[in-house]
Amino acid sequence: MTLTQILKMLVACILVITFVLVTASAYRQHHTISALAKLTDAASAIVTRLAVDELAYVDETGDKYSYVLDPDKLENLTFKREVGGENFEFQVSLGYQGSENRTFGPAPPENKTNCSLIVACSLWLNDRLQLAKFGVIAWYA
Amino acid sequence: MKQDGVADILAMAFMFVLLILGAVLMHAYSLRPLRAATDRQLELKCEHIYEALETAWVEPYTVSFLRAAAENLALEHPTVPGPYLRSAVENALGYLSPPDYEISATLTFDGGTLTFNENMRPPSKQFVRSGAVSITRAGGENVVVQVVVRLFSFS
Repeated sequence: MTLTQILKMLVACILVITFVLVTASAYRQHHTISALAKLTDAASAIVTRLAVDELAYVDETGDKYSYVLDPDKLENLTFKREVGGENFEFQVSLGYQGSENRTFGPAPPENKTNCSLIVACSLWLNDRLQLAKFGVIAWYA
Repeated sequence: MKQDGVADILAMAFMFVLLILGAVLMHAYSLRPLRAATDRQLELKCEHIYEALETAWVEPYTVSFLRAAAENLALEHPTVPGPYLRSAVENALGYLSPPDYEISATLTFDGGTLTFNENMRPPSKQFVRSGAVSITRAGGENVVVQVVVRLFSFS
């Protein structure tokens, strides 16, 4: 075997190893990105479900107002949801102009990736409709 | 014999270049679902901004931001005076705006336009939510004011 043949063999081996490593890395990245995209969509779904239905203000006649939150309902909220066949936990924050943000639910664990989403909403407070910010931090349960 | 060796090495170098290009493309392509999910969140934020402006009241009045703005365009004697409304709406848009984003609201009626937070910088992306506010004028005439809320991204 000549030196050229040995070099060619070496380069071919490096090529194959690089190909395997790149493919494995791309697969891992795709897996991570899919999980992050799913988490992002889960946070959006949780915010929508809460703002449109579960925390929506209901008046004396029974009419429900989507996007208008009733802060009293936060006390009885459960902080686990199933979205797309996966279980998620979340923490909720609520604040309005001139007030500090109040948080409800468990704190996000430090060793897990989480997704934070803050949206605008109205708040039924002191018989007035106030502008507020409603936030959700979600993570895989 | 030497020429064969050079040809082999060139072929391998070409395969390396292809491999690197393929890897870069694969990694760039794999980020697309995350970018799409982030864009969906921004669409949702824009929807919430519109709904919040449609329902929340201008302090200390009992009329919503969008209705007060629509009244300013369509009525002679609106509930909220124009200069106070501009200050209140721009303050509200500033409060609701996420960092690195700007919100603008434009109302149009009968050739007239009312714009809050007119954007001057060219944004990298914008998300739009449009709707309408119905106002009853003196004499019972119903008019419709068109509303467009835009969320601009500069990142």
